[in-house]
Amino acid sequence: MSGKLVLALPSKGRLMDQCNAALAKAGFTVAKAGPARGYKGEVAGLPDVEVNFVSSSEIAQFLKSGSAHVGITGEDLIHETIADADQRVEFLKPCGFGRADVVVAVPACWLDVRRLSDVEEMALAYRRAHGRQVRVATKYMNMTRRFFTRHGVTGYRIVESLGATEGAPAAGLAELIVDITTTGATLRANGLKVLDDGVILQSQANLIASKAAAWSPDLDRLARSIAARLGA
Amino acid sequence: MPPETAQKFEALQAQAQRLMLVFARAGYEPVAPAVIQPAGLFLDVVGESLRARTYVFTDPDGEELCLRPDLTVPTCRLHLARYRDGKVPARYCYSGSAFRYQPAGADKAHPREFRQAGIESFAVADREQDDAAVVATIAEALRDAGLAQVTLRLGDLGLFNALLDALPMPARWRRRLKHQFWRPDAFRAELARLTSKEALTAPALPADLADRLDPTDPGNAVDMVGDYLDQSGIELIGTRSLAEIAERLVAQAADARETPLAAEDAALIESYVSVKGSAKTAARRIEELIGGHKLDLSGGLDAFRRRLELLGQAGIDLDEAEFDAEFGRNLEYYTGFVFELIAPQLGPKSAVAGGGRYDSLLAEVGAPGQVPAVGSCIHTERLLAVLEGGRP
Repeated sequence: MSGKLVLALPSKGRLMDQCNAALAKAGFTVAKAGPARGYKGEVAGLPDVEVNFVSSSEIAQFLKSGSAHVGITGEDLIHETIADADQRVEFLKPCGFGRADVVVAVPACWLDVRRLSDVEEMALAYRRAHGRQVRVATKYMNMTRRFFTRHGVTGYRIVESLGATEGAPAAGLAELIVDITTTGATLRANGLKVLDDGVILQSQANLIASKAAAWSPDLDRLARSIAARLGA
Repeated sequence: MPPETAQKFEALQAQAQRLMLVFARAGYEPVAPAVIQPAGLFLDVVGESLRARTYVFTDPDGEELCLRPDLTVPTCRLHLARYRDGKVPARYCYSGSAFRYQPAGADKAHPREFRQAGIESFAVADREQDDAAVVATIAEALRDAGLAQVTLRLGDLGLFNALLDALPMPARWRRRLKHQFWRPDAFRAELARLTSKEALTAPALPADLADRLDPTDPGNAVDMVGDYLDQSGIELIGTRSLAEIAERLVAQAADARETPLAAEDAALIESYVSVKGSAKTAARRIEELIGGHKLDLSGGLDAFRRRLELLGQAGIDLDEAEFDAEFGRNLEYYTGFVFELIAPQLGPKSAVAGGGRYDSLLAEVGAPGQVPAVGSCIHTERLLAVLEGGRP
């Protein structure tokens, strides 16, 4: 088993389907293998590759710890899971699917708030009026903290939201949100707008290499040859 | 992370006892505030940056709690539990653990569980006298523990506030600048914006609305903004009211009609913020700075001079003491005097003790109004390291 290139791929959902399609288009046939209820797989013609099917967010963990050499997952999940992503992983190839923006969105009725600098001042007034800080609903807690710190926004609290984040402001559970969006339609339908400077990350699925994994020159060549064929 | 938290448990314990004896002798009542604190209150007070470093957990009832990341807020809560309005003068001392997640990994220099020994003084009316007394008590405790030589580094947010209060500008600009003082980049950006007519009139809001909003008639503005939302088909959602939204729109409309901040006033603010050097000559340097501006800072400067004199009388070495106008920029709850005591062995990046005045904090944790408060704590692990390293 040792000496193989461990490739982590999404085990379910839309990302898995798109991933399989992209791999097939590049000429890789991925098949499930072994008795372990389908969590392992192999690539036809590449005996030195071992495939691990795991959830997209776990792929980020695998790459952080070095349990996988390479994996395909969204950049948003990498940046959320790994604070110093550029030190820990290398983005080998953007895959062209799974495109989405991580954005800061506020109620559209906040005519007075268009930029992040407005958020800080609004937050100060909000605290004076309500006796508590404004709440930001998100599942991207780390990215939100880093982005807000960089833009001098400090007077807020994060409330963790694991689903239907866009409904939090209307439901009174939070004042604004940080969430992922593709067309913005869901945000608009929920009475929200994206701040003018509120795009935190333009994300898409990537083939990503772990810097923590055990690499050999052969494995490095193999990973780069897969990257070269992918999306070519 | 080693399995044992306090590496030199007995030595730290003995040191803490000595420190507490000095505090008690100086009239500070020993107290033991709770280790487990309500998370909501703590996180509202300290802001999101410390939240990222606070151990938060949920108990079986679903209540959100945290391990205290410092002992000042727990001591404030203890005081308010005794006196609801907080206005009875009281002096407390404590010694105990605080807990902070270390983003770069916990190690000896950055333990996630560390011990603070400190003092807090509440509701004492003579602020400068009390500021000096706190520094003197901490210095005395350090001396008693064996650390005789420390350098005082100090700042004074009161002076900064006095300067802004003396300069002509709308109250909301002053409030904005005071708030942004903590964030040098944002502060500079705001200062630049306030001096530029172009930036102040930048189309921040829909033009047809901007022209109609009258800063002298805020009541009418609420209706106008409500109508605008209706006509645009935008629904009012969330917990912010129409009045809150209108209030800021009116302020923005007022900004657009305001005379920008004078360039020389902005330059004066910039040069004040960069004052750094001997504490003894700081007041004179600031007087020279404002000399040509016909400003009255006497209240702030008198308090600064008086505090310095009291510090000298209390035996603090002022020859080496350094004033830094920017000092205090990363410690959001302070409101006035701030200080650190630095041991030459560890240098300014790892102060042995630090503290300052935080007159708003008691109100933020539940007192009905502002209560004067000043306090300081000793980083006991650092103190022990200096003392052990300093021995032959």
